[in-house]
Amino acid sequence: MSMGKFLFRRTLQGVFVIWGVVTALFGMRAVSPGDPATLMLGQGATRNLIERVREEEGLNEPIYVQYFDYVTDLLQGDLGYSWRSEREVEAMVIERIPATIELAVAATVIAILIAIPLGVISATRRDQPADYGATLFSLLGISTPNFWLGLMLVLVLGVWYGIPYPSLGISSDLSVRFGIGFIDLPTGRRGAGFVEGLMAIVRDGSFDELLTWLRHVTLPAITLGTYFTALITRLTRSGMIDEIGKAYVTATEAKGLPGVLIRYKHVLRNTMIPIVTVLGLQMGTLMGGAVITETVFNWPGLGLRLIDALSIRDWPLMQGIILFVALMFVVINIVVDALYTYLDPRVSVE
Amino acid sequence: MSEEILRISDLSARFFTNEGQVNAVSNLDLTVERGEVFGIVGESGSGKSVTALSIMDLIDSPGEITDGRIEYRNADLAEAVADTHPEAVDGEFVDLLSIPEDARKSLRGSSFSMIFQDPMSSFNPSLTVGEQIAEAVEVQRRATANPRSTKARTKSVEYSLSSLVLSTVLPSRRFVTEAGRKRAVELLDMVGIPDPAQRTDEYPHEYSGGMLQRAMIAQALAGEPDVLIADEPTTALDVTIQAQVLDILRDLQEETGMTIVLITHNLGVIARMCDRVGVMYAGEVVERGTLGDIFQRQVHPYTAGLLGSIPDIESVGGRLEPIEGNVPSLLDHEMGDRCYFADRCPKAMEECLDKPPDISAEGSEDHVAKCVLADHPYDPARALPDDHFEELTVGQGTAGEVADDD
Repeated sequence: MSMGKFLFRRTLQGVFVIWGVVTALFGMRAVSPGDPATLMLGQGATRNLIERVREEEGLNEPIYVQYFDYVTDLLQGDLGYSWRSEREVEAMVIERIPATIELAVAATVIAILIAIPLGVISATRRDQPADYGATLFSLLGISTPNFWLGLMLVLVLGVWYGIPYPSLGISSDLSVRFGIGFIDLPTGRRGAGFVEGLMAIVRDGSFDELLTWLRHVTLPAITLGTYFTALITRLTRSGMIDEIGKAYVTATEAKGLPGVLIRYKHVLRNTMIPIVTVLGLQMGTLMGGAVITETVFNWPGLGLRLIDALSIRDWPLMQGIILFVALMFVVINIVVDALYTYLDPRVSVE
Repeated sequence: MSEEILRISDLSARFFTNEGQVNAVSNLDLTVERGEVFGIVGESGSGKSVTALSIMDLIDSPGEITDGRIEYRNADLAEAVADTHPEAVDGEFVDLLSIPEDARKSLRGSSFSMIFQDPMSSFNPSLTVGEQIAEAVEVQRRATANPRSTKARTKSVEYSLSSLVLSTVLPSRRFVTEAGRKRAVELLDMVGIPDPAQRTDEYPHEYSGGMLQRAMIAQALAGEPDVLIADEPTTALDVTIQAQVLDILRDLQEETGMTIVLITHNLGVIARMCDRVGVMYAGEVVERGTLGDIFQRQVHPYTAGLLGSIPDIESVGGRLEPIEGNVPSLLDHEMGDRCYFADRCPKAMEECLDKPPDISAEGSEDHVAKCVLADHPYDPARALPDDHFEELTVGQGTAGEVADDD
């Protein structure tokens, strides 16, 4: 089976998964207690407004018609309307995607850059001080809760030592003081992102915006990436130790190949398969917005928006965000499966 | 032209396991001559592979070479290390165990290379066969590209992590070059792989076992080694394929004049391939000599036992005679100081309770056996009673159990 056919089949499967998610989301709203229109609007809504929403959202129709309308709207790319924020849900989701991707990718990059070399060193110097250090690090990393690490970083670096994260034209007093955050609170506008930073370099050769972004993203990325780093370190270590015992490694040593090539080109390559699986799943989770980290650092991603939506029971917005997260999960899983065939030629796309 | 190329003396390799010290190889002596095929034969666990891995310096923790010398004749190398490690040099011979690890590693591929028992697991499953052979080519190309030294280099080939990272974007920094790949195709052609240019891009799982074993031979030949160590090269293959692989080895040996150390448990392979043979038992070479010495004039009852257990197509009908008993334990505290074969030996005598030295036997001047029968005949009057060792083993067993209870 060719790669194209494989992707087609997996996409088809993905469509069914998404359909399931859509149905569950619809069902949850349908069975949750209370009048949907009141839920969408909040307690203080006027009778007239409630009537209007009932009419516009088709809430007076039979449930199957509502379901059909909901699916039809989604197929047309219409995630609904947030009556609470008085905005289209698509716009509210889309505007938060870049920040979420930035944070997820930054955390993943940190994890990969630190964890894989650390795991390799740990495995090749087994039972030596370097290995004990790495093992201790991964134990601490896995057992440290995200919110605590984030708060401690803010407290220690930002408040106690005042590490210069401020001097940001885009930040509020609060974030100047603590050296965190991303949003200009008075205006609610988001600071320059990674892409804008790159564009600034191209446009007028200024690195300022990118550096600003980098300063903002560092602490949240470390917070989010620590667990991830620890996890990948462990996986790399145990995978490498398994692989090193195999006959082909001895054969490769017998060729006189330099150690770097044995470790990274041969052994690590075969260790990557389980690592890529976990990387993929974790990326999927991160795409959903790292709710806690985004809240601690006031990072304007999907996670923060989801929390906001939950706290005011903004049903259409919640549904939209969850649906997007599910979609990302499906897409990333297809990519991971396609990567297997590249990493391990024995895994054919069948 | 009998010139020694490899001289192993008093080699001992031990494995320090949780159960205790395992004496995988004990005080092993043997010499290999340039251009010959030297066979090492023995049962599983007799120390054949450990001997081979010792020469390649591939013994990994918990194993360790504890004693002895592995001397390799290489005048260039001798000259190169004479100043820094005079104790390692003896004429043109260099003791590999007394030179630095880096120098020892630099001999892999160009001086010694090795083919392994199971080709399917000895290739990396996720790289193409051509790439892996080309790597072996590159190791040698880069080593000899250094004008200061040819085979006398004492540094292994270097390739840094930064080069590896850069090579993902810069093809010029890659370890394997186009020239290396071309050579890999030639090598595959040399070992008789049909359509080598296309085969080079295939992965190990796309090869059959016999093809892959040929590819491994090609890989081992990439560095034009002085000594090729073949560790059970045909064991994992179908019988019909075995013969082909042996033929290829034989032809290449005749063409290039390289030395082969052939390790096998199959006496048929020995008879077909070898000039001289060492028979191993419990980590020792118990008898060595020319093919004629071992097959016609063998002295050691173990050698005789091995020969007696080969089926013979000419005399169908009779039962094969297995060697009674099992391979002895190699745990240090269970080994004792006697002829290790005495408990299984049909001709064990009282003398066998002492450790026999190497004794020259009738035949060629190389014919040596670790057996008292080499200098005096079997005397039934001095034979050990049949149950002599049974009591001993029972006693040891109890001792072991008591120790475990502690």
